[in-house]
Amino acid sequence: MLDTTMIQTRGFKNTPGGFELRLRLPYYRGLWAGLIEGVTVTVDGETFAPEDAHWTIGELRGPLREIAASESARWPVDVAAVIGLRRDQPLSIGFHDVAAELAIQMSYIPEELQPTLWTEQRRLVVSR
Amino acid sequence: MSGSLEYGVSLYSYTGEYGVTMTLDDCIEDVADLGATGLEILGEAHIEDYPNPPTAWLDAWFERLDRFGLTPTCYGSWVDHRRFPGRDITEDEAVQQLETDIRLAARLGFKYVRPKLGVVTADLEPHPVWEPATLRVLDLAEQQDVIICPEIHWPSVIRSKVVDDYIALIERTGTKHFGLLMDTGVFQTSMHHRSGGVPSRMGRGSARPPITPVVPVSDLEDVLQHVVHVQAKFYEIDDELQDHYIPWAEFLEVLVRRGWSGFLSSEYEGDYATGRAADQLRRQHALLRTLVAKETS
Repeated sequence: MLDTTMIQTRGFKNTPGGFELRLRLPYYRGLWAGLIEGVTVTVDGETFAPEDAHWTIGELRGPLREIAASESARWPVDVAAVIGLRRDQPLSIGFHDVAAELAIQMSYIPEELQPTLWTEQRRLVVSR
Repeated sequence: MSGSLEYGVSLYSYTGEYGVTMTLDDCIEDVADLGATGLEILGEAHIEDYPNPPTAWLDAWFERLDRFGLTPTCYGSWVDHRRFPGRDITEDEAVQQLETDIRLAARLGFKYVRPKLGVVTADLEPHPVWEPATLRVLDLAEQQDVIICPEIHWPSVIRSKVVDDYIALIERTGTKHFGLLMDTGVFQTSMHHRSGGVPSRMGRGSARPPITPVVPVSDLEDVLQHVVHVQAKFYEIDDELQDHYIPWAEFLEVLVRRGWSGFLSSEYEGDYATGRAADQLRRQHALLRTLVAKETS
């Protein structure tokens, strides 16, 4: 089971060369990968551009553009995506203010009202 | 003419709970527990590894239908014309998407397939691919014994070009495999603002949707003969078992008087809060059954 929030408590951690966090798709259905425009992550005021995010959705891995090149690639609604970002220094142990803005294209909403943007801020802990 | 109304639930109702507080098993068990007999799903939400579910998932699906005595009603699908960044889908790709969903829906026992179509204008004209693509899959729908039924859904209204075009297609082809799905959200008499969930907004600019006029229930009379399925969309049933948004008594009076037969498939779209959908669905079914009993007595 996933957290109700888009940014998941589990999965926020340092990795070799950066850190990662997990996101739930806060929509009512899964999506073809080409409908995901990207995610902008901010940690303690430091912003990471959508094109720098490395995505892992189940078996799919890579920048979103590469994942979406496979026409069968999907983000299921009940699978959290892992977003990997590069950072020179590891995040310090303790609290961090984490924000994410996820942009999705919904074909049934007029283009001038798209993308749909989900934004969330959470205070998460790096435990080691 | 006397019709027969049956009661169902769309698993869309559990948005915000599915995968978070409830599994697919929990959701389906809840539908049966509240006394519904019809089950509506969204292909892209509820089918594992859509569009290629594993055998174990298929076995579990049929086992649950048997155990709970549920009938699959409507299968929600999408024709996402913006699926490939930088270009619209082609007619062939739209056909392929529709064929995939029609075959999968039929395999799971569904009778109705609702494709949600992409729009190309602010006033919600569907992408022009809808018509040639639909005409190309009508034979498959007949073979698979399903009815394709795009929805009349807020903020679209009943008296609109798109609905006229759907009806013209039925009349021109004489097909029995294309109809309309009526979503009761179009009759909302005041706008419900959903609370809870992850905050979202539409678009980066200042564009805002136009205000949608209130659709009188009497408009339903004009199209009812083509309506094959009802999504009983609702937002809140209060502690007095009253709905202040959807005029159910008026709506049901038309269905009963006209002898309409089919499923009222509940779609809860109210506030997000753990456990709320299950409670609201029971309230709505109590309200609908009470009103129908009054109309038919």
